[in-house]
Amino acid sequence: MTDAPMTVRRIRNGLKIPLMLAPALGLVVLLFGGGILVGLGQSLGYFPAIGLTDFTFENYTTVLTDRNFLMSLWLTFRIAFITTVLSSVFAIAFTLVLREKFAGSKITTFLFQVPLPVPHLVAASGIILLITQSGLIARIATAAGLMETPADFPALVFDKGGVAIILSFLWKEIPFVGLVVLAILQSVGPQYEEQARTLGANARQRFRYVLLPLIMPGVMSTSIIVFAFTFANYEIPLLLGVRFPSTLPVVAFRQYQDPDLALRPQAMAISIVLAVVAMLLLIAYRRLAKAAVK
Amino acid sequence: MTAVSLRHISRRFGEHLAVRDLNLDIDSGELVAFLGPSGCGKTTTLRMITGLIEPTSGDVLFDGESVLSTPTERRGAVMVFQKHLLFPTMNVAQNVGFGLKMAKVSKDEAAQRVEDILDLVDLPGLEHRKAHELSGGQQQRVALARALVVRPKVLLLDEPLANLDANLRITMRHLIRSIQKELGITAIFVTHDQEEAVMLADRVALMFDGVLQQVGAPDEFFRAPRTTGIARFFRNGNFLRGRRQGSIVRTDVGDIEIAPGSTNGRDGPTVLTVRPEEVQLVTKDTPQDNVVPAVVTSLIYMGSHSQLTVTIGDTPWQIHAPAAFRASNGDTIQIRLPRDHVSIVSDDDDTVAEQSGAAPPNQTTIA
Repeated sequence: MTDAPMTVRRIRNGLKIPLMLAPALGLVVLLFGGGILVGLGQSLGYFPAIGLTDFTFENYTTVLTDRNFLMSLWLTFRIAFITTVLSSVFAIAFTLVLREKFAGSKITTFLFQVPLPVPHLVAASGIILLITQSGLIARIATAAGLMETPADFPALVFDKGGVAIILSFLWKEIPFVGLVVLAILQSVGPQYEEQARTLGANARQRFRYVLLPLIMPGVMSTSIIVFAFTFANYEIPLLLGVRFPSTLPVVAFRQYQDPDLALRPQAMAISIVLAVVAMLLLIAYRRLAKAAVK
Repeated sequence: MTAVSLRHISRRFGEHLAVRDLNLDIDSGELVAFLGPSGCGKTTTLRMITGLIEPTSGDVLFDGESVLSTPTERRGAVMVFQKHLLFPTMNVAQNVGFGLKMAKVSKDEAAQRVEDILDLVDLPGLEHRKAHELSGGQQQRVALARALVVRPKVLLLDEPLANLDANLRITMRHLIRSIQKELGITAIFVTHDQEEAVMLADRVALMFDGVLQQVGAPDEFFRAPRTTGIARFFRNGNFLRGRRQGSIVRTDVGDIEIAPGSTNGRDGPTVLTVRPEEVQLVTKDTPQDNVVPAVVTSLIYMGSHSQLTVTIGDTPWQIHAPAAFRASNGDTIQIRLPRDHVSIVSDDDDTVAEQSGAAPPNQTTIA
């Protein structure tokens, strides 16, 4: 007889945490999962609004065999990859300097972190003002007599290599990775390096065998965020990139906005591919970086 | 096997002089303990020997040659810190083999040396554990093995046992002592625990406020402390003022004879001391030399003995009485200060009469 209330209580206790999490989880599942599901459905040819109800892989084969798509994929990957690697390398280099105490180290650290709260749109506008062929640097260089006309300045913005895109990403992401690395370095302190030093490790060895393994987990997790973010970012490539080839998010959005609803399933296929590729690349990147520090 | 010499080394941090004009010669194969309260400059001295910090002035010599221009990583002075500082990303074998890898010792030789040294510190078979999977004592033994495996010229131990519990600390002291003797390594051990220093060291170097106070065999700090501060640091707060004339000290409570060989100090105002465990309790009927009256102020049973506090004149003294000793507060008893245990100390503060117990001396600020 006494078993029944006990069981009820046990079930109630067991359900307590899931129930408490339910509102947040529901939101995520509904908004995110729902969106993905609808997108997946449309990409597979299920789009009743325009009379499509038969499942097909046609959209994927169209997208994946399209030379333009592959060019965009390569561009997007290259930009995200270069940004991720460079922002990690520069962040580590800067923080190694910033953790030392020197005259003006506080203000330098502050300046280093200024880009963090600045929106990406502002970063992009800043880059345009600075390094277009009619930008500040070109004008100063001309005024200083380094070039004959501002048009001699190399076309870094709206260039096919995406230099301006990478630069404005770097401006934002280096402080982001740096913030995490700096926090790790400060919590670790100089002791491990001192220990390594008395054991005979020179500066290069201390960095390679002591410091790097300590900061690598932090660098890994932040650079995964950087990669995922730059791979899927829309506004910076739209503002700073050439019209063709565009990065995948720009292509997907363009197709999505096209008045011809028949293009919508292809846009969805692109988005799904984007998500899957990003996921696979992240896994590969993580493995590579783990192997590299061993 | 390297002899270490410190010549007039000083170290200043801003306005604070952390170590002042320190001179010390450490023989090859000797274990010296730097002893002193925290902040006395002993760790700073150790770090100057490793090269992790530079002396403001003075010189550090290994086997007679200055090492100041040799960077830490090539100096061969290996440090074991209070925290074990095992690299968290490596297992035990990788940690111990770290110095060998840095020196590019071949893999086979390194593996053999790591194995041998783990045997020596009594940790065989733990090669593949990570640091966090070890107990505190094991961690510190791995740290010790990691330092020993590179065959350091000088082994520097900066309070390596401070984080361990009491029993483990004693085991580790024996281990360190036996390994140091077996390998014949020159070693410097920093500690604030006088018991640890006495148990471990061939010689003790006592520091207060950045200044070396006394260097000598452990028993010298008990038999013949140089100053009241040193005596007090070794838990002896028994002081009696008087005026010395040859081998007699005339005090308010009577004349005290001291050993004729006692050379510390000369005639004139002086302070004498006898350790609590050397003071004898005597009865009135047995006339003896060096007997003075004392008034009991407290008696605490401690198990192996009783802690008796008396006043001689108006100076408080501690005495180790037999556990069965009985007396009431206010009783006047007779105590004897055995001639061979009376030592003369110089008075490094003028508050001897107010001092009691074994508290370390007051820190004085160095300008």
